[in-house]
Amino acid sequence: MKKEVPLAITFISGFLLIVALFIPHEPFGSLQERFNDWYIIVSGFTLILGVDSLILYHWRKIKRKEKEAPYSIILISTFVIVLAWGIYSGVKYGNPFAPASSFLRYFYTYMFVPLQATMFSLLAFFIASAAYRAFRARGLNATLLLISAGIVMLGRVPKGEEAAPYFIGITLILLAIVSVLEGVSRVEVYEKIIFFGLAVVSIIAIFPAAWFLKFNLPRLADWVMNVPQLGAKRGLFIGIWLGAIAMAIRIILGIERTYLK
Amino acid sequence: MREFFERISKIDRRIIYLLVFIGVTIPLLTRKGFEFKPLQEVETAYNFIESLPEGSNVLVSIDYDAASMPELQPLLEVMLRHLFRRNLKVIMLGHWPLGLPLGQIALEKIAKEMGRKYGEDYVFLGYRPGIAAVILNIGKEIRGVFDVDYRGIYLDSLPIMRNVHNYSDIALLIGFEAGSVGDFWVQFAQARFNQKIILTSTAVVTPDLYPYYQAKQIVGLIGGLRGAADYEILVKKKGFAYAGMTAQTIIHIIIVALILIGNIGYLAMRRVR
Repeated sequence: MKKEVPLAITFISGFLLIVALFIPHEPFGSLQERFNDWYIIVSGFTLILGVDSLILYHWRKIKRKEKEAPYSIILISTFVIVLAWGIYSGVKYGNPFAPASSFLRYFYTYMFVPLQATMFSLLAFFIASAAYRAFRARGLNATLLLISAGIVMLGRVPKGEEAAPYFIGITLILLAIVSVLEGVSRVEVYEKIIFFGLAVVSIIAIFPAAWFLKFNLPRLADWVMNVPQLGAKRGLFIGIWLGAIAMAIRIILGIERTYLK
Repeated sequence: MREFFERISKIDRRIIYLLVFIGVTIPLLTRKGFEFKPLQEVETAYNFIESLPEGSNVLVSIDYDAASMPELQPLLEVMLRHLFRRNLKVIMLGHWPLGLPLGQIALEKIAKEMGRKYGEDYVFLGYRPGIAAVILNIGKEIRGVFDVDYRGIYLDSLPIMRNVHNYSDIALLIGFEAGSVGDFWVQFAQARFNQKIILTSTAVVTPDLYPYYQAKQIVGLIGGLRGAADYEILVKKKGFAYAGMTAQTIIHIIIVALILIGNIGYLAMRRVR
């Protein structure tokens, strides 16, 4: 019974909602609305469950006197203070954030917001460091990703088109130098021709490439965003949603039962 | 020479952090900005708001929190200013409970600055759990989910809400998105009720929303700090986002330069090996 009842509820709810979508007449017409109301009520209770498990988790840590217990004490006491003050302000003024100079608003504005914003702003440092380490021309795919990233990063900021010609110029000069060095070290004549040819092409391409980027970089960045990026995204989304539909059918039919564990 | 290439392929992360720190702080302190042309998707959003008749209702959804505040808060303020200047009515709600006070703070600040009155020119409804259910229920009757505002005042006693029942009474919905709530707005409010939507988002989320803009499911898309700066230019009130764009430009140039240097070192070392 422990499994059968939840499975039956899932099957009936899922089946009725699908029927309600295709038959918008009574008795099915109002079903979706009613289910939505229930869903809102259940969602409210999930918040309570979340609070319950969070508090229990930290309470156990305090009881066991674990190493991180002081942090758990801070968490629980902050939770109690904020909750108590919120209820007090809510009852007294009809709004947890009233009056404008209240403790809760002060706490939110000067503690919670800076803490959360600081955590997120650290990402700028990590991303810069990670981009430097990860964007290496290790193969064709990595090189394509590298080029696209460069185009979008410079093409989407003001003055990016003015910096881009220098970057492309330096890149092509370096490519020419590397090609010459490679060509010198090769023994076969055809290999020498390929590498010296590449060096010549790189030098010739400097000015046209720089000119093209100076006048077309924002458009190129838009093209990357609107064509390859969107194409890949659409493909991904279609795949994700097909997977979601398949998973929903499996759950409704009771084939997928991991949510019961 | 080998040592030099090895060194540039493995720059100490503390040097990178220092470069990022300098690249962000100096432009923000000096507040020097570059001139640039707004993106087309931002201009479309701006023009749509300009085309709305005075007195139209605009639903604003706060779906972000303090982590995305630097990108979305300046935009929220400048958009609210624009809405009030156009004499549009603002109905604010949200699906991120921890971010909602940011919306409330901005709304109170801009309303006070523009001399707008609560209950007549704007209203703050607050939060209800269950994103999809809330969005769907607004399509039938907004009182089904929000019978009272955030202070417990019945909607019928607020002049602004007397004639607002569902999406057909809302001329435009503006979603401030740092996650996936924008998808819900499009999938339910637009697809089912044909609601006109402008989505504004953090730069990370923006690529996910482009398909909706290209398919004309949303009437405008304002992405990241660049979008906010574009909007500030359009409303002719340059502020934090515009100043922030200089910092972003410098950081992007630093990152591209670092990537280039890293690759020179990497390719040279590979050749040596």
